[in-house]
Amino acid sequence: MSAPTVPNLLRDHLSDLAMNDARLDGRGQYEGREINLETGILPRAEGSARVTMGNTIVLAGVKFQLMTPYPDRPNQGGLMCSCEVRPIAGRHWEAGPPSPESIELGRVVDRGIRESGCIDVDDLCIIPGEKAWQVILDLHAISDDGNLFDAFALAGIAALRSAIIPAEKFEVGEDSPLKVSKKPIMCSYHKVGGRFVYDASYKEELGGDERIHITLGDDDHVHSLQKGLKGIFTADEFASIMEHAKKRCAELRELMD
Amino acid sequence: MGGYGDVQMIDENGLRMDGRKPGDVRPITIETGVVPVADGSCRMVWGTNEAIVAVYGPMEAHPRKIQKQDRAVIDVAYNMAPFSTTDRIRPGFNRRSREISKVTQDALESVVLLELYPRSKIRVSIEIISAEAGTRCVGLTAASVALADAGIPMTDLVVSVASGKVNDVVVCDLNKEEDNYGEADLPMGILPNTGELVFLQMDGDLSPEEFKQAWDYNVEAALQVHKLMVEALKGGAKQ
Repeated sequence: MSAPTVPNLLRDHLSDLAMNDARLDGRGQYEGREINLETGILPRAEGSARVTMGNTIVLAGVKFQLMTPYPDRPNQGGLMCSCEVRPIAGRHWEAGPPSPESIELGRVVDRGIRESGCIDVDDLCIIPGEKAWQVILDLHAISDDGNLFDAFALAGIAALRSAIIPAEKFEVGEDSPLKVSKKPIMCSYHKVGGRFVYDASYKEELGGDERIHITLGDDDHVHSLQKGLKGIFTADEFASIMEHAKKRCAELRELMD
Repeated sequence: MGGYGDVQMIDENGLRMDGRKPGDVRPITIETGVVPVADGSCRMVWGTNEAIVAVYGPMEAHPRKIQKQDRAVIDVAYNMAPFSTTDRIRPGFNRRSREISKVTQDALESVVLLELYPRSKIRVSIEIISAEAGTRCVGLTAASVALADAGIPMTDLVVSVASGKVNDVVVCDLNKEEDNYGEADLPMGILPNTGELVFLQMDGDLSPEEFKQAWDYNVEAALQVHKLMVEALKGGAKQ
């Protein structure tokens, strides 16, 4: 991503709005955009989801490959999460090798899903030491109007939950649904105009400062955290967004059923 | 162009595996305005192919060495999503995608009125979300709709269709099996209003008569698809 020039006018405007507890698009501080989640939308993927959050649109697709288990973990398969933000997603995304931004995106989403333990890698083993499933989750942005993190995380877990292991195609048994035991959900907060807001739009990201991503699993267990970009925040600020994240994650978990 | 007639793909009634007659095109749906942050966009579902195209620009052309003093450049990026095929595609550089991007760019630069935007760049991103056969045709056709949706002046839309040969029968708009086991593939990019061509490739084996038939099928199909493109653009016109 080329570094776009941030107009001071935009920053000032966002500060003024924050002072009056307002946002660019009229939302409240912790109000998210409308979310639409569809699964099973990609005919060639074994599991898939499309998430629309306002003007942000992302796709997630799950594919399976056979792998040889690593020598130190002969009873385990693998989970890989790869994220690509290609130039289609916005004029600020450019072609070329993955940018640090898109690598961070993929890794943060990956950690939330992996660390929640929602996929039991022991379960992916077919023949110990010889054959196991590698689950590959590919995240693909179509339209970036901010907060790709949350959109990717939601699409990712929804796609995994819809995935069918294509055992017949690989001649290693019968097709069966991939077991996903938990529902890790990410909530992201951006410091805009001096305060944290939930689900920032692209303009808010552009004129804002640091961001914090929180992934909570079932029972509000914390699975991944990430602070990104330049900025300083206090323990009190963190406590209040954590409080909101708990409520919001529970709502989104229901959306998935 | 795999086997040579070892797979039976035309039945005794002359119908194809998916029930089409030799000259029939797969079902097509076209939608515009599908990438809200783009200046123009198009989603095209053609059989089980699905392409999403976004157009950005005209915008500043950089790096500066790509600028043309008297006209715009079109920067086309064709890409297949990792989950678009039966076996996952590893993301990253790929010779096939580069070639398709280039020929698509050459085709689009032939219709866009580039001289209206000197020193600028028009970015066309083609993402194949689901691939069956003929993704380059779907990509190019959808790209011309997306350019029109972005309000970029063009002499004509481009309709791209491929015909080929399976079991010695010339058929229009090859599906996956026909593409894999067929004996020839002739994709063309046609300007529906003049019948001129801006894109042409071919591989395989066609006799002069078969070549003529494949060519005619493509022209006929292009006129049909063009109607759908115009409808989509009129229906999806931004207020």
